[in-house]
Amino acid sequence: MRRIGRWFGSVVAAACLVASVAAGAAPPTIFAAASLQPALDQLAREGILGSPAPRLVYAASSALARQVEDGAPAALFISADERWMDDAAAHHAVVEPSRVDLLGNALVLIAPAGSDTHVDLRHGAAPLLKALGEDGRLAIALPDSVPSGIYAKQALTKLGLWSTVVPRLAMSRDVRAALNLVVLGQCPLAIVYRSGAMSEPRVRVLATFPPASHQPIVYPAAIVVGHDGPLERSLLLALESPRARKVFRRWGFDAPPALHQLRRQTVRK
Amino acid sequence: MELLTHSEMIALGLSFKVSLVGVLCSLPVAIGCAWLLARTRFFGKPFFEGLLLLPLILPPVVTGYILLIVFGHHGAIGRFLDAAGLSIAFRWTGAALAAAVMAFPLLVVALRNGFESVDRKLEHAAATLGAGPWRIFFGITLPLSLRGLVAGLALAFARAFGEFGATITFVSSIPGETRTLPIALYELISTPGGEDGALRLTLVAVVVALVAGSVAALMLLRGGARQEVEA
Amino acid sequence: MIELDLAVQRGEFSLELSLASPARALALFGHSGCGKTTTLLAIAGLLRPQHGRIALDGHVLHDSRAGIDLPPPRRALGVVFQDARLFPHRSVRDNLCYGMPRRDASDAFDDVVQLLDLPALLKRKPGQLSGGQVRRVAIGRALLRQPRALLLDEPLANLHREARSEVLEHLGRLKREFALTTILVSHQFDEVAALADSVARLEDGRLAALEGVDAFRSAGLVPAAAPLVPHPLPTR
Repeated sequence: MRRIGRWFGSVVAAACLVASVAAGAAPPTIFAAASLQPALDQLAREGILGSPAPRLVYAASSALARQVEDGAPAALFISADERWMDDAAAHHAVVEPSRVDLLGNALVLIAPAGSDTHVDLRHGAAPLLKALGEDGRLAIALPDSVPSGIYAKQALTKLGLWSTVVPRLAMSRDVRAALNLVVLGQCPLAIVYRSGAMSEPRVRVLATFPPASHQPIVYPAAIVVGHDGPLERSLLLALESPRARKVFRRWGFDAPPALHQLRRQTVRK
Repeated sequence: MELLTHSEMIALGLSFKVSLVGVLCSLPVAIGCAWLLARTRFFGKPFFEGLLLLPLILPPVVTGYILLIVFGHHGAIGRFLDAAGLSIAFRWTGAALAAAVMAFPLLVVALRNGFESVDRKLEHAAATLGAGPWRIFFGITLPLSLRGLVAGLALAFARAFGEFGATITFVSSIPGETRTLPIALYELISTPGGEDGALRLTLVAVVVALVAGSVAALMLLRGGARQEVEA
Repeated sequence: MIELDLAVQRGEFSLELSLASPARALALFGHSGCGKTTTLLAIAGLLRPQHGRIALDGHVLHDSRAGIDLPPPRRALGVVFQDARLFPHRSVRDNLCYGMPRRDASDAFDDVVQLLDLPALLKRKPGQLSGGQVRRVAIGRALLRQPRALLLDEPLANLHREARSEVLEHLGRLKREFALTTILVSHQFDEVAALADSVARLEDGRLAALEGVDAFRSAGLVPAAAPLVPHPLPTR
């Protein structure tokens, strides 16, 4: 009897120790693309991401990828495009088997909320140029480095508009800055994510770029090397939960394209 | 093998243009402010000093944002510029303003130190000889603080040349118009595989900074040594 | 006619002076800290008295009651400072011409240059001059302003013996050649005895005596209070 008591006591002690260590440990950090801010903030607020809520760090996917590659202490990395996640994987900065395609998004053309512009993307460059006026500019994120800019360039190229539009571009550091240029009335048009447009009442969506005109907009998420543990895995699962999906949808994100869902399932196994 | 690609050369040339124009145009204003700080006393002077140092303290993106809402389209000052056909939004002139604003505190501080180093007794002597404030300034104060002025210009130019955050926030990146060397550098760093180009541009930027820094140091050191000999 | 009536408060030091003198050359005599340089600065307009009236030959430079306070450039005075204050970046010629009312008054220029033996120095910079030469250039510069009065602040201070006699001789020549109202500030007996017509003795910011130079000479060295070694340059 006494032996059982002693065994039980040590188990309780061990449990307390683990609990105290867990309680004293800092909450995990999530590095996430800037466009995810409103959605993730809400998830954290509503406790969907566990308690204590993880620390959320937002920046351009390129900057985050480089930091993660340099060993930044992030538990999870959510990129706004696959290219930067691929880059992180190539540098062995993320745990490949943990990688999932978390979300999808769409690319839209926006104008200030009060404007009455109309643009039909199927009718060539003319409507676009007309909407820009004499010296207005089309705001996009940097087309060689920022995901939304890369998608925008792809879409404009596919639609045969790129070469006409290129001298009329104003390229911003990130998609948020491009959105702001329209909000502030500095640019008549911008190309941003649908998620961004939906969370900003001062802009309105003129048109959605056909999904076929650009690479699928996928937000991969993965666990960062050196932070693979039960806490981090459960955090990733929480991000994929139906409750989380609902919040994401409200902010303009949808499920990743079907093709990618298939890939996710095979990788998981 | 060429050192820089065509678009990089354009960015380099644009940087020189933007920095030179920005700093030279802000020089008269900087001289005026530095003179006020060095030679006058007035109510609210500490507040004025703080205001001049603001671009040094604020995050560059914030400064760029302020420039955007003041000088951009529909801005407090921008609307008048637009009406007069002198808009600087999304133009190299806007980039020059951003560079000038960010470099301004350095310029004012250097000029102020230069003016303060001029013996006021010489200015008093000039006054007794019949010279008014302008004649004293241009004939005595300015020539005697020329070293400080050149040093300040060199430092301000280097700062203007390397300006990034305020520029890209205010006038975005537009090749040939606002895409300066630091912005081109940033774009390369942000592109996977762009590291080689980034390194080349970094070398160019380092050379420019070294030259500017050496000029500044030369002016300040030689000036100091000469004063010791005369005393 | 030199009319001085002023009160100055500088920190703990207070100066109260009231005199009127018809002398052409008036000396303010006393040792360091007695207020003579303060008086000179007030006359030059570089220091504002708390209240008072300063007039030279009928021209009012400052009158606190009447609200008159001419700024230094308009007082038409030639000031020779104790530290000369030549402009180091300009040539001797440029220094001399700095205060000239009309650039083409070349006669006056030649006269002064001859009088002070400056022709050989015209192209030099102040840094290349000896102490005595610097003083002479400073005097010439003040003269070429064609002022209505000359103010000299310790013109022979800190000069070694040769330079002293050199400058003293030139000042003597000046006195003979130009009938210019002069106010001389000095703590040195021989300077005052050689150049002044009238002497105002100052002590601790007050006028102790106003006498003609003959009386001053016969009184000999100021008793007791006069130090026997040159004073260090007073700090201002």
